[in-house]
Amino acid sequence: MKPVRLRLVGGAVHDPANGVDGEIRDVCIEDGRIVASLPDGAPTLDARGMVVMPGGVDIHSHFASSSCNHARRLIPDEHAADPAPAPALAEDELPARSGTGGTVPSTFTTGYRYAGLGYTTAFDAAVAPLTARHSHSELDDTPCVDGGIYVLMGNDEYLLRQIEAGEQDRARDYAAWLLRSTGGYAIKIVNPGGVEAWKSGQRNVTGLDDAIGGRKVTPRAVLETLAGAANALQLPHPVHIHCNNLGIPGNAGTTLGSMQALSGRRAHFTHLQFHCYGGQPGQGWTSAAAQVIEYVNSHAEVSTDVGQVMFGPAMTITADAPVEYLLHKSSGRRWTNIDIELETGCGIVPLAYKDKAAVASLQWAIGLELFLLSADPWRVVLSTDHPNGGSFLSYPALIQLLMDRAVRDERLMQVNPKLLAGSALADGLAREYTLNEIAIITRAGPARLLGLGRKGHLGPGADADVTIYNREADIAKMFSTPRYVIKDGRVIVEEGQLRRAPAGRRLRVAPEYDDALLPDLRRHFDAYSSVSFANYPVQDLPGETVPAG
Amino acid sequence: MTGPRTVASVTCLGCGCACDDLEVQVREGRIVDISPSCPVGRGWFGDGSVPDAITRGGSAATLDQAIAEAARVLAAAAGRTTVYVGPDLSTRAQCAALAIADLLRARVDTATSRPAATGLLAAQRRGRAAATLGEIRNRADVVLFWAVDPGARHPRFFSRFIDAAGTHVPAGRAGRRVVSVTVGSDRGPPGGDLELTLSTAEEITALSVMRATVLGHPLGELPADLQQAASAAALLKEAKYAVIVHEAEPGGEQPDPLRAEGLIALAQALNGPTRAALSTLRAGGNRSGAELALTWQTGYPMAVDFSKGFPRYTPERRALDRPAEAAAVLVAGTSTELSPEVAAALGRTPVVVIGPRASQTPFATRVAIDTGVAGIHEGGTAYRTDDIPLPLRPPLPGARSAAEMLHTLLAALQGGRKR
Repeated sequence: MKPVRLRLVGGAVHDPANGVDGEIRDVCIEDGRIVASLPDGAPTLDARGMVVMPGGVDIHSHFASSSCNHARRLIPDEHAADPAPAPALAEDELPARSGTGGTVPSTFTTGYRYAGLGYTTAFDAAVAPLTARHSHSELDDTPCVDGGIYVLMGNDEYLLRQIEAGEQDRARDYAAWLLRSTGGYAIKIVNPGGVEAWKSGQRNVTGLDDAIGGRKVTPRAVLETLAGAANALQLPHPVHIHCNNLGIPGNAGTTLGSMQALSGRRAHFTHLQFHCYGGQPGQGWTSAAAQVIEYVNSHAEVSTDVGQVMFGPAMTITADAPVEYLLHKSSGRRWTNIDIELETGCGIVPLAYKDKAAVASLQWAIGLELFLLSADPWRVVLSTDHPNGGSFLSYPALIQLLMDRAVRDERLMQVNPKLLAGSALADGLAREYTLNEIAIITRAGPARLLGLGRKGHLGPGADADVTIYNREADIAKMFSTPRYVIKDGRVIVEEGQLRRAPAGRRLRVAPEYDDALLPDLRRHFDAYSSVSFANYPVQDLPGETVPAG
Repeated sequence: MTGPRTVASVTCLGCGCACDDLEVQVREGRIVDISPSCPVGRGWFGDGSVPDAITRGGSAATLDQAIAEAARVLAAAAGRTTVYVGPDLSTRAQCAALAIADLLRARVDTATSRPAATGLLAAQRRGRAAATLGEIRNRADVVLFWAVDPGARHPRFFSRFIDAAGTHVPAGRAGRRVVSVTVGSDRGPPGGDLELTLSTAEEITALSVMRATVLGHPLGELPADLQQAASAAALLKEAKYAVIVHEAEPGGEQPDPLRAEGLIALAQALNGPTRAALSTLRAGGNRSGAELALTWQTGYPMAVDFSKGFPRYTPERRALDRPAEAAAVLVAGTSTELSPEVAAALGRTPVVVIGPRASQTPFATRVAIDTGVAGIHEGGTAYRTDDIPLPLRPPLPGARSAAEMLHTLLAALQGGRKR
């Protein structure tokens, strides 16, 4: 076969993983990978005057899960308002698919819109193991992005029993077995113990040392066990943690306590903005972003994505079901709750963040504070917890807020200031992100945190996923309409139009475990599961395994 | 002919409970026994024999001829086509049918019954509080059956989820209180710890009384029947984990269209004082799968119209409510659930049927391609009533695959290009 080559000529390349900061240089592509050079006469794409970055990597999103599908079902009104006819692809492509948008777009539309934004890799951050087969079906229908799933374990019945029995090795083996059985990529913890508490009538846990549902197990023990498991299994991504007390005033104490509990151990704390509130329940809210980010800045083992709130419609989808009940009661909006046997829960409430609302304005400010006070962009990366804090389509507007102080200050003048007194943002933060820092928080950083050696950079051997932007004064416009997007070496977006829609590749891990686990696990399934042990693992998994770190 | 063999961990799609622990005995290419025994499962599997014909205009044809004719008939009617996605297909086959519908700008209909559709719409207005089936077994200490006795249509429901011990209900049935509600001729199960009988005229009022009881609203003097309903609600409220079970595809008379919303509202309200879920029983096949695949591909769970080039939601005007409006129809799966009126109308329309027993369709077809049945002859995934996906382990593999046939038709409609 003749090699397929492409030389991207003369762009300003931002490849921070390889120390390249806006240098004018060519990027060479052969057979889907970046190469050091190409023979003369290779086909070229003129990128002169443009900005070249690796394809975007979304470390935390909700777009391909049973929970997302429950959320889709809840919003026919949003879908009707955002029809998505099939894009006109190149003539040698199969016809594209139509769909609908809104806060939770249909699968094909999700893939097309990610690509249209220059994102080529995305992970669904919360999948109940029992529904993993469903997530893979959705990913099969989500083109243009490579991706995978994080597997929910922080409220798992079998895991809680092992922790209670002091069986740490078995807990680790079980985590490995779950990852293999589900085709998962990372261990996810959501409100450790809190979902089990919700299901067992305790309603929720309030802190790291509460007993979970009357057991001799605490959220702290869940965190320690699963962080230990992820590190012992040398997973490419450390344990991915949604802390206890999400959205509750005063929760910064719990967040810092969780970080301290895992001190010295690698751990990723997700959508940190939702966990940085000062004040006390019933007595008001303040920003605690400065305290929390100070801890992050000084602890290299901690990483985080921000979970920025953007004004406009959102859809809250989470395994943190008790939080969704409170949100339903306080907002009066539609509410879906699905309890998932032996594993977790799921809560869904459609929401809108309004700049006239004091709490939403505080949340917006806290997210920006985390970004602007971060000392290490490699460990504090971009997310909106799509669609919880806002759609991934709002990333360009968020990037503009980070890069352009004038825009940010103007926006700040429009929001409800009631709870912002004394916050760092209100006091004035002058920092403006550079293009290189944006390249770090949207691709190089997430790829490194995920242990994806072939993503997020443009060095030889990397997957040839590249995004090329026109240089524009309007940063939001620049990042919302890439001129070209290249996936696996092929141009899929040309002049801002989607022209190709290749299937995404699945990324998963396959850690080893001791088979001695299986007889006991089988007894547990036979006793309590409504699905046969033999039918639980997802067979014929597509995609490739990413090796241990 | 192959010798006797046993296939284990087989998923049965005889009803929405989708038991996946069956052992199926096969001898000489026929299913001879299933275990555990279940009359509905036995009826679903039968002996596993299905016809193996391909017809064009009622006469035998080659596959190539049939696919070419199907593509011609459907393409000629693009923009005015209806695609019916039946329940006896794997999700992969259903997805192929949806891809065809998108390409043809067709209107899509499914085996979603009217009561099930009413429930889907109510859940879109309110959300819902639900749980997977295993949560009933593991947690429910009070279970209320609303106008349904699972015994006949879901024979293993009691043994699997009520009688069996669970993580939080170690005594099984003895650790649960069962409330049996009869509405009109729709009887609750026998042997309830509390039994309640309502006329159809009182049903919605009773649901309102129960919700008011749960919310703690003062009710004043109530007639005897409604007082009983309030007592049932009080029992639910005292539960640690209450489950309300109802049926979305009842066999008998059509339920009150407000029933589903009333039950959803009651289950949601119970989550104030305690924890509760509404469990919706469905008939057999992969009907949840069709609704879920439609949802992830279009955003809507049923009644999708692609005629404008994107999905539109038309639950008030389902395609097969007006079958005569279609210029051509693709039936993916069997047509057995279509009403006689719809079948009669389809007999006057060019119809392509690709699915199990297509050649035995009770109306004239332009093309019929027999395939195997999902879970009996064809693998893949199907969904349980609680939206949990299960693998299919076909005990009799080898029949023509519906998913493959629909993908072949899709490729033909795409001009022969295959991804």
